Formats: sequence, C-alpha cells, structure tokens
Amino acid sequence: MSGEPRRKDRRAEQEERAAQERRAEGGDGAPPDERRGLLAALLRRRPWPAAGVLLCGAGAALAALALPAALGVTVDRLLSGGAVPWQWIALCAALTLTEVALDAAVALLGGVNSARLTRWLRERALAGVLRTEPHRAAAFTPGDLTTRLTATTTAAADAPVAAASTVCAVLLPVGGLVGILLTDVWTALALLAGIPPLILLLRVFTRDTTAATADYQRAQATVATRLSEAVDGAATVRAAGTARYEHARVTAPLAELDVHGRRTWRVYGHAVGLSSVLLPVLTALVLAVGGLRLAAGALSVGELVAVSRYATLAVGVGAVTGALGSLARSRAAGARLGPVLTLPPFTHRGAAPPPGGPGTLELRGVAVVREGVHVLRDVRLTVPAGSSLAVVGRSGAGKSTLAAVAGRLLDPDAGDVRLDGVRLADVDPVVLRSEIGYAFGRPALFGPTVADAIAFGTRRPDPGEVRDAAHAAAADPFVRLLPHGYDTPLEDAPMSGGERQRLGLARAFAHPGRLLILDDATSGLDTATERRVQRALDRHSTRRTRLIVAHRVATAARADRVAWLEDGAVRAVGPHTRLWRDPEYRAVFHGESVPEQSGVPAVEDRTEAAR
Amino acid sequence: MTADTVTETTASGGGTLRPGSRRGAFGRVWREGRPFLWRRRGAVARLGAWSLVEFTQTFLTGFGVAQALDRGFLAGRPGVGLAWLALAAVAALPAAVTSRALFSRLADLVEPLRDGLVRRASAGALHEALTRPERAHTGAVSRTSHQSEIARDGWAGLVMALRSCVFAGAGALVGLAVLAPPLLLVVLPPLVAGWVLFAATLAPMAARQHAYLEADERLAAYAGALAGGLRDVAATGGGERLAGEYTALTRAQCDAARALARWSAVRVLALALCGRVPPLALLAATPWLLGTGMTPGALVGALTYLTVSLAPAVQALMTALGTAGGRLLVVLDRFTGRVPELPPARAASADAGADPAEPGATSADAGATSVAAVPRRPGAGVRAEGAPGHAPCGVELTGVSFAYGPGARPVLDGLDLTVRPGEHLAVLGPSGTGKSTLATLLAGDLSPGGGLVRWRPGEAGAGARPGPPAGTVLLPQHPYVFTGPLRDNLRYLRPSAPDAELARALAVLGLEPLLRRLGGLDSLVEPARLSMGERQLLVAARALVTPSPLLVMDEATSHVDPVAEHRVETALAAHAGTLVVVAHRPSSARRADRVLLLDGPRVECGPPSLLARTSSLYRELTGAPPPAV
Repeated sequence: MSGEPRRKDRRAEQEERAAQERRAEGGDGAPPDERRGLLAALLRRRPWPAAGVLLCGAGAALAALALPAALGVTVDRLLSGGAVPWQWIALCAALTLTEVALDAAVALLGGVNSARLTRWLRERALAGVLRTEPHRAAAFTPGDLTTRLTATTTAAADAPVAAASTVCAVLLPVGGLVGILLTDVWTALALLAGIPPLILLLRVFTRDTTAATADYQRAQATVATRLSEAVDGAATVRAAGTARYEHARVTAPLAELDVHGRRTWRVYGHAVGLSSVLLPVLTALVLAVGGLRLAAGALSVGELVAVSRYATLAVGVGAVTGALGSLARSRAAGARLGPVLTLPPFTHRGAAPPPGGPGTLELRGVAVVREGVHVLRDVRLTVPAGSSLAVVGRSGAGKSTLAAVAGRLLDPDAGDVRLDGVRLADVDPVVLRSEIGYAFGRPALFGPTVADAIAFGTRRPDPGEVRDAAHAAAADPFVRLLPHGYDTPLEDAPMSGGERQRLGLARAFAHPGRLLILDDATSGLDTATERRVQRALDRHSTRRTRLIVAHRVATAARADRVAWLEDGAVRAVGPHTRLWRDPEYRAVFHGESVPEQSGVPAVEDRTEAAR
Repeated sequence: MTADTVTETTASGGGTLRPGSRRGAFGRVWREGRPFLWRRRGAVARLGAWSLVEFTQTFLTGFGVAQALDRGFLAGRPGVGLAWLALAAVAALPAAVTSRALFSRLADLVEPLRDGLVRRASAGALHEALTRPERAHTGAVSRTSHQSEIARDGWAGLVMALRSCVFAGAGALVGLAVLAPPLLLVVLPPLVAGWVLFAATLAPMAARQHAYLEADERLAAYAGALAGGLRDVAATGGGERLAGEYTALTRAQCDAARALARWSAVRVLALALCGRVPPLALLAATPWLLGTGMTPGALVGALTYLTVSLAPAVQALMTALGTAGGRLLVVLDRFTGRVPELPPARAASADAGADPAEPGATSADAGATSVAAVPRRPGAGVRAEGAPGHAPCGVELTGVSFAYGPGARPVLDGLDLTVRPGEHLAVLGPSGTGKSTLATLLAGDLSPGGGLVRWRPGEAGAGARPGPPAGTVLLPQHPYVFTGPLRDNLRYLRPSAPDAELARALAVLGLEPLLRRLGGLDSLVEPARLSMGERQLLVAARALVTPSPLLVMDEATSHVDPVAEHRVETALAAHAGTLVVVAHRPSSARRADRVLLLDGPRVECGPPSLLARTSSLYRELTGAPPPAV
C-alpha cells in the first residue's frame, strides 16, 4: 500500500505546479504584494479604466479652469460693443461641452470599473474563505464576515476611482488659485486672507456632529435591543397576550430618540449656517477688492467675472475633502479586506486513499496548540475499519478538536492523520469530502428546500436516497409534518434544535463514505429517538468507520470502544464496560447523563443555576 | 407612515416588509405620504417661511453685484459699489442664525417619519414573530431599524435640497426678471429642457436603483448564510456549489451597478442642460440683450445668478432625487401597506382574592350540551383548594387534529383528552410527536385544525367554554427575560403583584442569591448576563406570583438542574389550579398525577405507576440509561 501514495505524490506535485502557474496567470491566488496595499492590485487588475477616469477627470478639470478666462474675454468683447465675438462664444461652448462630456465619461467609466472590481474582489474573498481551514475564517464573526464580503468589498473596489477623482479634485482649487493669481494679485490676496477661517470652520463642524450623534445612536440601540428581545421571546409574548404592551415598550425610547435626533439637526444647522455665511462674505470680499481695482482701471469687467469664478473654484475645498474622505474609506476597507484575501489555503497533493478501502483511521502523535495552550497533545489512536469509537471527556477536554482533526477540518500542529494509510493532508479535497462525512450538534443547512439541505454536498443524491437518509436519521416523520414535506422552503420550516440536528445527520447519511464523524450530533434527540438513529446507523453503514463525540453514557456504551480524553490527551482507550469500573470515568458523565431534548447541552447553565 | 395609524388600522395578516415590485411604488408611497404631509402642513409652511431668508440672500447676490458695478465701480463711485456689496454680504448674515431654526423645522418633518417607520417596523416584526415564528430572525430586526435610518437621512436630504432649489431658484429667477425681464426668455428654455430630460430619466433610474438594492440584499443574505456555516461547507465539500451560486449573485449585482452607472452618465447630461447651458445661451443672446437696454452690471449679475446660485441648487436637487430619492422610495415602499394589527391583550389574570367570574360562560353553554360530564378524581381538587382565589380549570379535547400546512401530515390526529380541573398532568413522548403543539392548544394559543378544545372551569358540571379562562399561563421552553428592572420582569404576567409576593416567589425557587447578585428588585436585568437556567427560573417565579386556573409548562425547566426543577414543579403544582407539564426529564413524569404518552398514532394515558407496568414506550422513555437521575 505504500507504493500507491508515492505514485500519487508525483502526480500531485505536477498538479501543484500547474495550479501555481494558473494562479500566477489569473491573479487568482493570494498575491505576494498584499502588504503594498490593495490599490496596487486593483490598478493592476484593471489599469485602463482607472487611467481613463484619471484622464477624463483631469481633462474636465482643465476645461473647467480654462472656461472663466474664456468667459472673461467673451464678456469684455461683448461689452466693448464691437463685432459679436462668435469664435469666443463658440470656445466657451466647446469648453463647457468638453467638461460635461468628460464628466459623463467619468461617471460611466468609474461606475462600471468599480462594479467590475467589486465583483472580482467578492469572488476572490469568498474563494479565500472557502479554501482555508474553517477555524481561520471563524476568526471573523459571521456578521463581520458578511459585511466584509459585501459592503467592505464595494468600498474597497472604489479605491482606483477614488484615487483618480482625488487627483482631479485637487486640480480645481489649485487651478482656481493660480487663475486668480494670474488675473489679479490683489484679489488673490483678499481670497487667501479668507481661507483660514474656512478651514477652522470645517474642523468645528466635524467635532460637533460626532458628539451629538453618539447619544442618538445609543437611544437607537435601545429600541433595537428591546425589539430583538421581544422577537426572541415571541412564544411568551403570544401566550401572555402582551404584544401591544411589548410594542409600547419597544417604542418607548422613541421620545428620547426624538430629543437627540432634533439635537443632531440643530448642531448640523449651526455648522451649515456658519458655512453658508462664510462663502458669500468671502465672495463679497473678493468682489469688493476686484471692484476697487475695476474703478481704478486696473481690471476689466470680464476679468472681474473671471476672478469671481476662479474664487468660487478656489474655495471649493469641499470637493477635495470629500474625495479624500472616500479615498480614505476605500483604503480602510481595503485594509479590512486584507486579512480575508490573505487567508492561507488548504494544501494537498491530489492523493486519494486506495479505492474500496475499508476506512481505517489512524491518528499519529497529533497535537494542536491554540494561543500557547495544548488543546490536543500526542494523541495516538487507531479506529479499525468498520468499527465505532466514542470520544468522551469533560467540556474542554478537546473532543471537538479531535473530531475536527480526524476529518481534516483542522490541520494538526504536529503528527498526522491517515485514512487507510494515506495522509489526509495529501488527499484531494473533493475526494476527502466524499470519503469523510460529518454531522454536528448545531448544523448549518444550505439549500432552498429541506430536500436540498439533505442532498447538499460533493455529490447530489437522488430523491430516494434523500428519503432513505432522512428515515435513517429519524427526520422523515417530522419532515412530513412540514407544510410541504420535503419541498418546504428551509426558511418556512419551523424546526427545533433537535430537528435541525436530524437534518444534519440525514445530510451525512445521504453521502456515505469510509468515515463518519458525529460531533455531538445527537445531543438534541431524546433517548428513544437517539437509540433509533443509532440502530439505523449500525444497520445503514456496516462498512463505515465511525468516530462519535458523546456526552451520554448510553452513546458511549453502544460504541465498540471509547477514547477517554482528559486535558487534550488520551487517558484511556477501551470498551465502555471496562472503563466504567473507574469512578473517575463515571464522573465524566456526571450531570451530563440527563437527556437533552433541544439544542446544545447547556452544562454551564445547569451548574450555574444549581449554585 | 405615521405613528397614529399604526394602532388604528384594522388589518391583519400579511407582513409589512414586502419585496415590493417597483411598479407603482411611487403611487403606494405617495398615497400614504400625502396625509402625512397634510397633517404637517404647519411644519411645511414654517420651513418655507424660514427659507425666505435664502430667497432674499440669493436675490441680493446677483442684484447687489449688478448695482455695485452699474452705480458704483463703473460709475466712478467706488463707495457706492462697496455699499452694495456690503449689503449683499450683510444679507447673508442672518443665515447663521436662521439655519438653526430651519433645521429645527426640518426635524418636525423628519423625526415623525422615523418614529412612524420604527413603530411600523416593530409592529411588523412582532406580528411576524407571533404568526410565523420560523421566519422571525433578529437579523431582520436590525435590518429594519437600519432602513428606517436610511429613510430618515434620505428624506431629510431630499427636503433640504428641494427647499433650497425652490427658494434659491425663485430668488435667482426674480432677480433675473428685475435686472432685465428678457433674460428669462433666454434662460428658461434650457432650464425647462434639462428638467424634462431629468424627469424622463427618473423612472428608469429609480428602477435601476431598485434592482441594484435588491441584488445587494440578496447577496448580503446569501453571504450571511454562508458566513454562518463555513464549518459545514468545509465538512460537506459543498463549497464549489455555493461559490457558483454566490458568483451568479455577484454577477447580477455587478450588472445592476453597471446599469446604474450608465444612467448616472445620462443624469450628468440633464444636469448640464440645467446648469451649464443657460450661461452659454446668455452669452449668445448678449448682443441682443444689450440692444434692449441691459447694462453691463446686469450681465455680470445674471451670470452670477446662473453660476453661483442656480447651478449648484439644481445639481443638489438632481443628485438628491437621483440617488437618495431612489433609495428612499424603495425603502419607504417596504413600509407601505396595511400595518398588521397586534393581538389585543388577553383578559388579565384576576388578582388573588378577586372573584374569578367567567364572562364567557353563558355563551359557551350552548356548544357544550353534547359534552359528557368529566369524571372527577377525588383528591385532584385538594391542591386547588389550597391555592385560593382562582378555581382550577379543566380542558377537554375531542378529536383534535393539527397540521402545520396543507402538505403536512397532521402532528396531532384525532386526539381525545380530558384534563381534569386541578390535576397535574405530564406529557411525555419522543421529539416531534406534537407535545409543544398540544401545549399551545391547551393554552388556547392555537386553534385546532379539526375537533374541539373546550375549557371547563371549576366544579364538574359547570359549563364548558370555547376560550381559555382569564389568567391561563403558558411557559414556553425559551424563557423570555427582557432588559429592564427585575421587578417588571417578575410582574410581567400580573402587573399589580406586590413586592412581598415577588420576594416570596424568589425565596421559594432559591433565587435569593441571584437577587443579591443583581442588587434588588429595582436593579436592571440583562438577559445576556444570565444563564438560560437562571432565566427559566425567573420565568417560573413570574408564574408563581400569578394566580392561574391553568398553567401549561412546555419544557420550561429544560436548562435547570434536576434539584431546582423539582423545586419549581412542586411549587407551581401547589400554586396553580391545573398544571400541565411537557416533561423534559423522566422525573417530571413521576411527579405527576397522570402521564400522557404521545408517540404518533400511539397515545397512552394513565398514572405513572400504571404506565410503568403496562407501557414499554413509557419504560423506554423513562427507564433509559441515566443512572445519575
């Protein structure tokens, strides 16, 4: 059997090289330059649209900057009373047209570019999440990960357009200042004198609103909390007939919310009031100096018009701060996305355990370390083909970690796990998942309908197989109670924790392989139902090797052998009846022998309540 | 959209948040928005009045410049010119003060909208949770509150942009008319054309916006489900398939975003027609206008109006309408439609000592004629007599069936059961045999699909009634404890319960250490800081201070340890009139007067000692492994 995996290894190496080349071409893998920022990667991915946005934006800005000068000349020519300056009017029209067309191009190019990059980032991020060990992705909470896959990618993908827009946005005020300086120095000085208060004001504005919104958000959170609690306790609310009382309780903080809401508007109004005064006063100042220069004959009417337009452009710092703000948001989003994009992928060598193998599972010196603590240490176990091994131990003994390592949901930090002699770390993921089935205490179900949820996996079983699996998992009776039986949409299926568990079991049964790992998968079933499932399991998969994380004595007693874990190490392995003589072994089940009918056993709850 | 209508509308069924087709969205929103605005016409008028300041200021920007040039700088009188400019600058000063008042009036229009939306959203969420528990997710709750904020910001932005455009626009147009009436002939045509083009883009734009938001939400929902189940995805090897579906969603989202980008390019053109073409038209018409007597100052003033006042105001409004407006419409449309009416409060439990009169007894008599008298077991009433003030109530089920949907096998099928007044019944059976359904039917919380449920208060021979008696209590498995004072939590079922009784209940259930830890009856309870067991005990204490003729516990002590469970059941059995316990542990069955065994078509009922001898299912359910119990 030893020659077989080595041959696979060679082929696997070739495939690995090919995969690396593919990744290099498609830019699909984690890029080596992640530290240089996402912006560079995005620009490399789609360089031309970003360049187009930059060129069009800069062109539009230049047209906008040339317009006041042309306008000034046109006005002077018009007022001079000579021939109508059609060519100058045409120039003004051409400049306006250019600016508008280029602006439209920026909107189109930029929007499309961001949309495409968003899609690319999303697919890459999800691929990264799906390719890595689940526990690494679990470092992000589901809500956080959802945000990163959706809103964060949208913001991050905007970076190239935001960067290009920032460059263009800077052109306008700088160009405006240059334009006014070139036209008349004195008016430029008047403008410069007015700018410091403007900057001061912007700072006051940002400070004020943040203080006011904090209170508002607190009141808002109170409403949300009360509503979530009431929705969570709907069964009680319905039974007690207190729905209207609850509605009143949930909406009671609205009065406070109203007070804080009004305060935010007043603060906002204050800031807007200041800026709405400052700009007209600044314009008046520029015009006054310009008017005096006009009276002195140093400036023409047209030049005054140009000066006032340039002044407006020069004080348009708001556009720059806005562009800078969105660039900063994009970069922050990119930084948040980084850890998702750089999740290390599971490696493999394309191997497969020998066909028709019986399913012998071996753990050789397996250790798992988390934050300096040994969750598992030097675990050596062999589960003979077709037999069942129960894993027992107090909470925190490492049972679930062992279950995860045994089917490569987790790579051990030391040692290795073999199925029929082949290292799991070498096995091709698709082969691995079709050979090893899992069922969990709190399964997540996927698919539009109940039948789809059971069929979910590497291969799609036919409806008959789905029903058989549901039957074996004692799920068939309750599924037939659902509004549309197996075709009931998952979101319309009222299910208890125990019922979800049985669908999870059915999913595992519907995809038989060599090894089945049950991690607390029957904790939500009453003892009678659990026994039925166990019997079906013994019948159903005579050829399957089973690893069962157990909390109940009865489950352990039914297994061929029991592995007793303590502090991450195997304390003893043997038949339940032999271990049972040890009082310390019996103590493992103390307080856990009570049938749990729903959800996950709440051992902590019980001990706490008992105090 | 209003707070007032929430409780007034007499409607039921249908959730409030529907995906909503975009067609007719505006009509639906407008139908409900119009009365909202009409009721707030005073606020609208005041907002307009304060906006007159903006009108004056805009008027003086152009007019001041024109006069400053014509009468001052160009006429060789710089002092006069400076005076006019000073006037224009001074006209801007009041805005510093008035904009605060303006935003306060804005709050009069915006805050009530948010209040109404939050009220609707919470009524909808509660209604959904009550009628379709399987669909109630707290995630939907937070999404709803998020949307009311989007509506608040969008509506405020729209009101301000509209107001500014109207008053600044009016100031500029009046100014143009004053400077030289023919100016309007030149300026208005492109302005109108721009608005027509914009209006034409509005509907398709809103549709694209709608499609975009929907694609976004579908994607977020999918990503959420995925992110919550990565371990299972990895373990089943179904990642490829999910990635494929996810890719299809991102692709749809990308297409929607691109369609939106195309339309925003069209909007840039409409904007240009309104903001950029009028100055060009003015230049082209200047030779003619100068001929009609327009002064150089008026030309500069007109250019100021067009570039400084009109163009930015129009741009702000078009942007608000095109982006925030579309989003606002989509969000508001989800809140339209009839608000579900929440069920009215049940008749409150009679306080201890009060006469438990049964208002429905007479009308129920007619329907009860065929019901045989319930044989009353001696001794069953003894405990009930010990609990003063609320006569125990029995329940009769005749041929009761219940199914969860048209295609579903009934979970209960033709069940006959008599719960005697004052007895303690335990319900036992494997998962999914209808124990919870039975509990809900007994408490009158659910109506049977077939058969009859009747309640028979007090002595044998008393009339049966079609509704549960006042003060019937159902304790579900999930304990509802809310963030609020401990006292309010304990008095949830009986708001008038005196403190002494609360303290006694806590003492009986061994909750004094918890009371000390929290710091008294006034202290704030936060459910997240309590274990499930502690929450179940608090809920049990709640039942212990409420006189109840019929108490149904649906695995309500599942997270409590066996010793505490014994304490709870004993206390409640002594307290309540009739007690039905859906048992979580075999020991609960052993404490009962009678046990009902449910196992699909097989139903057995009898005292525990009898069933232990006769029923193999009973032995399997109770005698099974646990040596510790």
